[in-house]
Amino acid sequence: MSSLIGFLSLIAATGINFVLLSSKIFINFNINKYNTLVRFSSILTFISFFSLMYAYITSDFSNFNVFQNSHTDKPLIYKISGTWGNHEGSMLLWISILSIYGFFFSFTKKIDIELKKLTLLIQSFLHLLFSFFIIFTSNPFLINSVVVTEGLGLNPILQDPGLAIHPPLLYAGYVGYSIIFSLAIASLLNKNNNEEWLYIAKKWSLVSWTCLTGGIALGSYWAYYELGWGGWWFWDPVENISLMPWIAGLALVHSLLMIRGEQVLKRWIIFLSILCFSLSIFGTFLVRSGILTSVHSFAADASRGLFILLIFFIITGFGFLVFLLKKPETSKPITLLFINKFSALIFNNILMIIATLTVLLGTIYPIIVEVLTNKRISVGAPYFNSTVIPIMIPGFLLMSIAPILSWQTNKIRSARNYVIFFILISLIIVIQSYFSKFNTWGIVGLILGSWIIFASLFAVLTSYKLNFNFRFFQKVNPHIAHIGVGIAIVGITFSSVFKNEFTYNIVEGENFKINNTDIVFDKIETTNEKNFQSLRANFLISKNKKVIGNVKAGKNYYPVSKMITTEAGIFHEWFRDVYFILGEQKDNEWLVKVHVNPFVSFIWLGVIIMVYSGLIGVSRR
Amino acid sequence: MTLRFQRLLIILISIIMILGAVLLILYNARENISYFYTPSELLESNIDKNKQVRIGGFVEKNTFIKVSAGSFKFRITDNIKSIDVTYNGILPDLFREGQGAVIEGNMIGQNSFKANNIFAKHDENYMPASIKDDLENKGYWNKNYK
Repeated sequence: MSSLIGFLSLIAATGINFVLLSSKIFINFNINKYNTLVRFSSILTFISFFSLMYAYITSDFSNFNVFQNSHTDKPLIYKISGTWGNHEGSMLLWISILSIYGFFFSFTKKIDIELKKLTLLIQSFLHLLFSFFIIFTSNPFLINSVVVTEGLGLNPILQDPGLAIHPPLLYAGYVGYSIIFSLAIASLLNKNNNEEWLYIAKKWSLVSWTCLTGGIALGSYWAYYELGWGGWWFWDPVENISLMPWIAGLALVHSLLMIRGEQVLKRWIIFLSILCFSLSIFGTFLVRSGILTSVHSFAADASRGLFILLIFFIITGFGFLVFLLKKPETSKPITLLFINKFSALIFNNILMIIATLTVLLGTIYPIIVEVLTNKRISVGAPYFNSTVIPIMIPGFLLMSIAPILSWQTNKIRSARNYVIFFILISLIIVIQSYFSKFNTWGIVGLILGSWIIFASLFAVLTSYKLNFNFRFFQKVNPHIAHIGVGIAIVGITFSSVFKNEFTYNIVEGENFKINNTDIVFDKIETTNEKNFQSLRANFLISKNKKVIGNVKAGKNYYPVSKMITTEAGIFHEWFRDVYFILGEQKDNEWLVKVHVNPFVSFIWLGVIIMVYSGLIGVSRR
Repeated sequence: MTLRFQRLLIILISIIMILGAVLLILYNARENISYFYTPSELLESNIDKNKQVRIGGFVEKNTFIKVSAGSFKFRITDNIKSIDVTYNGILPDLFREGQGAVIEGNMIGQNSFKANNIFAKHDENYMPASIKDDLENKGYWNKNYK
């Protein structure tokens, strides 16, 4: 029953969007009708989504999708997240988020009416394309032809709280760019234009960038503790795909800051808006088509891939065609002054786009090579590390000088203090690392990271009156974001340069020593949980003969899907993570692998700060 | 500085940055790309022994031996030819006889391969795209694989 309601409301939502689109040709509705229709179709899409969720919660196995991806034994949270834990449901989630954005956008007031109409039209065009995709190739409401009482179960590796919220956040990021895309195209098509739309675009681009940041970080954190590889980023195609719209979106957020400097590169902003959304759809296509050989395999189907490719070409083609044919009226003439924030922003934009293209090239290069030469290759982490990082370094340098540059003039504020400060920090770091482990990349990362942190702190302390109210936090927000980036850079550098791996073959009761920490392999325990059996090795961690904690690492066995998952055990400290993986057993000897990852917590801290300042940025006019 | 000169400067600097990026990419593309083979392709090619490659294939049935808790031997096959593989480390959760696997490492003898990495797949029915076509062409395709 719920499947029927879901399917019918999706069809009805599609119908409304169709009416809205054709109304442009036949009758010209006024803006109120537009708003009503868009909200109505959004609500219908939500009903469709929630009826699928309802089918999952009540384990309604008459729905084929629920039968294939759910099981009565699962805890409630994974029944809910099971809704988007599969291809069909995740596409329905995609379109529901598109509707949420449309719904909230329809409440925008300070906007030219024609512009708003056009934006809503493009938005419902997107909705239409994706609902066709769902209805014709990935319908989640198909009826199960056999009567069954039990489902096949959700992939156990996805049964994790982090991964339950990762897809909605990530999609909120991807799909958020649709609003900016529609706004940009609408601003090109609309004749009487002011710059009001740039402010609106700035808000939405911050919203989607923040969601994307959170989504990527959650996925990365999940990979860190769930996959048991000891790392948090693998330059896997699926990860790169999410990184591309993220960097492009970062460029967009920064170029929209230029409104404040009153010199606007409108054409560039429009280009970036189209690029961001195109990359988002392109990513969906690559993930869903199965063209890529990725370790995060998703069940794929060629016909779906083709359909999304078609949608991609329609949207991107349409976007760039309008971009090339219609020129925005030139805004105020640009007066570059060269050593100011404006030119720094331009260079940072160029760098980010180059970085995006480098990632794109590395990601699709295997496909190109296979098509052209029939050879199969894989481009791994070393390629990305040694191209993307050097490209980003000048950008980080710019970040550390940016706070002293001004918007309008060539003057550099308190330049001398800065230089002295920088030299001092660099000296301390070089001397410090000379006496500990010396590593070039380590030094570069640490110097850049701490420069950025201190330059931003310095700017906050010298240019603003300290005053702890909300307006103050809004004002210093860009600096806070940069402090987050600096902290993340330090974390990334340390965790990748100074990580260590140890392997032990030991029996219960034995102990080993890492640096100044004693670790006892205490005992193996097995327990029966609701939908899995767990096997855990307990490790006691002690420093100076005092037990400071314990960690459980092991495996889960899921009888429904006959799968084993590795559950890494992590002992978090501020300055390092000790990461345990329990391997195979031979007789009573176990393989234990221990990674010592310094400063990993700094990465998550940095991301949290970035997300925080993204949220504050949205509230700022 | 005139506006025109500044524009020129910006364009020049961008070109230099793009050139730098291209050089980086070209240089790294030579060094850091690993080729992907099926076992029979790898045996036919005269590849440098020290070169890292990836093999996609099945873990042959009844060939898996646990030497110790952390070291394993098995054969990887594409149903035509197979290669002996040794691996020290932790096996991915979905590693099983008869299942698809992707292995990274280098040849150490006529018919033996030392694996540094075995890649985990999230989906138990997953088959590396590289050998999917071959299997289909040769009629070994099992419908359960995706």
